Amino acid sequence: MKIDHSVPMEYSTDENKMKILGFWIFLGAEIALFSTLFAVYFTLQGNTNVGPSASDLFHLSPVMIETILLLSSSFTIGLGVHAMRLGLKKPMMTFFGITLALGAAFLGVEVYEFVTYVGEGATIQTSGFLSALFTLLGTHGLHVTFGLLWGGSILLQIKKRGFTPETANKSFIFSLYWHFLDVVWIFIFSFVYLKGLM
Amino acid sequence: MKWDEFFVTGEPMIYAAMVSIVVVSLAIPIALTYFKKWNWLWMNWLTTVDHKKIGVMYILSALLMLFRGGVDALLMRGQTAIPDNGLLDGQHYNEIFTTHGVIMILFMAMPFIIGLMNVVIPLQIGARDVAFPRLNAISFWLFFAGAMLFNISFVIGGSPDAGWSAYFPLASLEFSPTVGNNYYSLALQIAGIGTLLTGINFLVTILKMRAPGMTLMKMPMFTWSVLITNVIIVFAFPVLTVALALMTLDRQFGTQFFAMQSGGMDMLWANLFWVWGHPEVYIVILPAFGIYSEIISAFARKNLYGYKSMVVSMVAISLLSFVVWAHHFYTMGHGVMVNSVFSITTMAIAIPTGVKIFNWLFTLRKGKISFTTPMLYSLAFIPIFTIGGVTGVMLAMASADYQYHNTMFLVAHFHYVLIPGTVFAVIAGFHFWFPKVFGFMLNEKLGKLSFWFITISFNVTFFPLFILGLNGMTRRMYTYSESTGYGPLNMLSMVGAVGLAIGFIILVYNIYWSVRYSPRDIDQDPWDARSLEWSTHSPVPEYNFALIPTVNKLDAHWFAKKEGKPLATGKYEPIHMPNNSGLPVIMGALFFFWGFFMVFSWWIPAIVFGVLILGTLAYRSFEKDHGRYISVEEIERTENALRGAQHEN
Amino acid sequence: MKQLFPAQHVMGFLFSLLLSLVALVAVLFDLSFTAGMTILVVTALVQAGLQLFLFMHVKENAESKTLYLNILYALFVGLVTIFGTLFAMRWGYMVK
Repeated sequence: MKIDHSVPMEYSTDENKMKILGFWIFLGAEIALFSTLFAVYFTLQGNTNVGPSASDLFHLSPVMIETILLLSSSFTIGLGVHAMRLGLKKPMMTFFGITLALGAAFLGVEVYEFVTYVGEGATIQTSGFLSALFTLLGTHGLHVTFGLLWGGSILLQIKKRGFTPETANKSFIFSLYWHFLDVVWIFIFSFVYLKGLM
Repeated sequence: MKWDEFFVTGEPMIYAAMVSIVVVSLAIPIALTYFKKWNWLWMNWLTTVDHKKIGVMYILSALLMLFRGGVDALLMRGQTAIPDNGLLDGQHYNEIFTTHGVIMILFMAMPFIIGLMNVVIPLQIGARDVAFPRLNAISFWLFFAGAMLFNISFVIGGSPDAGWSAYFPLASLEFSPTVGNNYYSLALQIAGIGTLLTGINFLVTILKMRAPGMTLMKMPMFTWSVLITNVIIVFAFPVLTVALALMTLDRQFGTQFFAMQSGGMDMLWANLFWVWGHPEVYIVILPAFGIYSEIISAFARKNLYGYKSMVVSMVAISLLSFVVWAHHFYTMGHGVMVNSVFSITTMAIAIPTGVKIFNWLFTLRKGKISFTTPMLYSLAFIPIFTIGGVTGVMLAMASADYQYHNTMFLVAHFHYVLIPGTVFAVIAGFHFWFPKVFGFMLNEKLGKLSFWFITISFNVTFFPLFILGLNGMTRRMYTYSESTGYGPLNMLSMVGAVGLAIGFIILVYNIYWSVRYSPRDIDQDPWDARSLEWSTHSPVPEYNFALIPTVNKLDAHWFAKKEGKPLATGKYEPIHMPNNSGLPVIMGALFFFWGFFMVFSWWIPAIVFGVLILGTLAYRSFEKDHGRYISVEEIERTENALRGAQHEN
Repeated sequence: MKQLFPAQHVMGFLFSLLLSLVALVAVLFDLSFTAGMTILVVTALVQAGLQLFLFMHVKENAESKTLYLNILYALFVGLVTIFGTLFAMRWGYMVK
């Protein structure tokens, strides 16, 4: 396997370059997936049936906490990739660890939020609006959950094997995934929560 | 749940099917054990990551599904051949037109095309494999798991019966209480993930692995069509993923997306289905256009007329295919504005398609045409497909569509598009590339005989449906009274369907005959064709090209033959190849069982299998596999053997 | 320690927090629907661009043109799905 040392390690082999391109295309597909969920949400958001509407349900503070947690995690994983490019294993692992911890905290707040909604009688079965809301948020939450498992397994590999073209490639691709989830959250924050509270 | 609800009971035909399934599933392992072939099967096929073998497996599965869907079709035509017929009851008829549609589109046309893509694309661009060989195997096994899951529905639990488009509210739990539509949503979901992965894989392959010198505008037209197709796959399939997930949620988790009474919208399903569904039509037709372009240019002995306009028109189609979907439901409550907009976009998409017809006609003009079997299919395609296209423009007019909608006219239209478009193309491609994969040709005489049977019978089957539709016969009705006057034309259609069946039987017999008797002394380029796949041996060695060719123009292989200059020179170097892996087939099996338990809402086993699927992903993540090298000596040995085999004969 | 926190990343992070606060204006003040939506659209797009160029390193990739095309295509399909669905299922549904 030819290794090109003039570029960052995650790009250093042909296979690595193809994997990064392939993952970007996958993110393109993810854009289409979340757009469809948004389309469903926007179409059904007025159909509240007997259940609460967006403005009855949403509260600003948990949403702001979630947003800050996820934005920070996006920042720390960016620092992690930066540390990786400097070849610093320990700082890189620390930043990735912080990222995953922030992700877990985000999930915690989201679960708390869901429990509150259900406590107020707003379940996924109540109305078209709530089905669409829970599905959109839940799909994003499942992505974050999967990210925690994936990121954890990458951390273990970095710990065991250090930086190799493979592990660097995986870490970089994982950072793309994580940033993408942050972008999706920004749109949920703006067009689900803030628009709903407007 | 009781056993008699679990198995489908009370139908003699179903019992016969059950017996045959049991016999076949016992016979295969017994035969494998008796002939000591388990190891061969596992090492050479089940664990393979070789794009050619994966392609062959796709095509074999597609032929199997063609048989299943064809039997469904014959039963439907048989039922409607005479008025007040009692061959099938209404429920059984509903199940059969549903499975016919799903199987023919998603489990026959798609895998046949993806199979040809797998076999041809790496060869055509001068690559040694696809970008992600193991992912490719996973794609195949996910498709296969989905196809098998869908097929067992007719003996276990009951088949879906709400049409291949599964419109709500009919497909909701309230109106379709059996597990049939759970099979629909889950089997399509599993196969759809496989297709999405294929899309990513081939995009990266075509973008990153072309032979040196092959710029985008020097790619063969089939490669171009596959590139565009995969762009559409990547962006359209996520919509299906969401739609099917919402269907599962509605039917099994009590959500309200498509239920009318609690703030859902039944038409939202139709909307999402066709946001994916119309691009899907172009996913199955664009590669067909690519195949015809290759074949027509090869057998007219001319380069393709208007290469650039062909590329531009395909790019235009890839964008336009996403903005026409609402023409599938003009009559379902939209205002004038919506119908007008989608009517115009639909007519607009006919323009780039029309451009292609002229490309092919001008390629034929003044060509030295040889009428081989693949060429016959391509020539028949042009006029028949044009009828399909023109009737499509008729349907595109929203106000006129109120007359045609959901009549047999529509059924005739899409069969006139899909059969000469996709089916003729995959059969033509099958005949064309068969010698490349297997090293011998299919018999031309039998090929032409089946061509005439299929083409003539196709028209006899489907042309009467245009007239029946205009006379008011709606689709999906399982019987009619004699006074409607639909009887004679339906009988004519039945006669055609039998002819089609005979045509396909001859095609299968041709494969059998050729395997046994066809001469093995063929050249690597038996058709005297134009693109790179014909510059390596037939059958193709594992590594495709001992030396990677260098390309400087379109149809480089053709000009290399003319000028007598080889495309590749230099010394052999060790070739890096991926290792086989059992993981993809295991993942396929896990997905199958996960899907099966999900269908019946048996949550605990479903969760167990879901965790096992995650486990395989984790295993893969921690696995170290750097592939292997084929040594120079081994390459020399293989090359000499392949060359020698051709010279001796 | 300092090399672990490149100024660009820190500034980008602070800017992204600021953008979220600006978006709050749409809720906290009594604005018209159009004004509120404009703020939301602009802040969301800038946020997304920030992630894309600063953190996802889209520019440094040798294939950046392919990546831009990929994103544009995805946005085209996404926007068509969202607004087409709203057009077909909300604005133009069950009207004369």
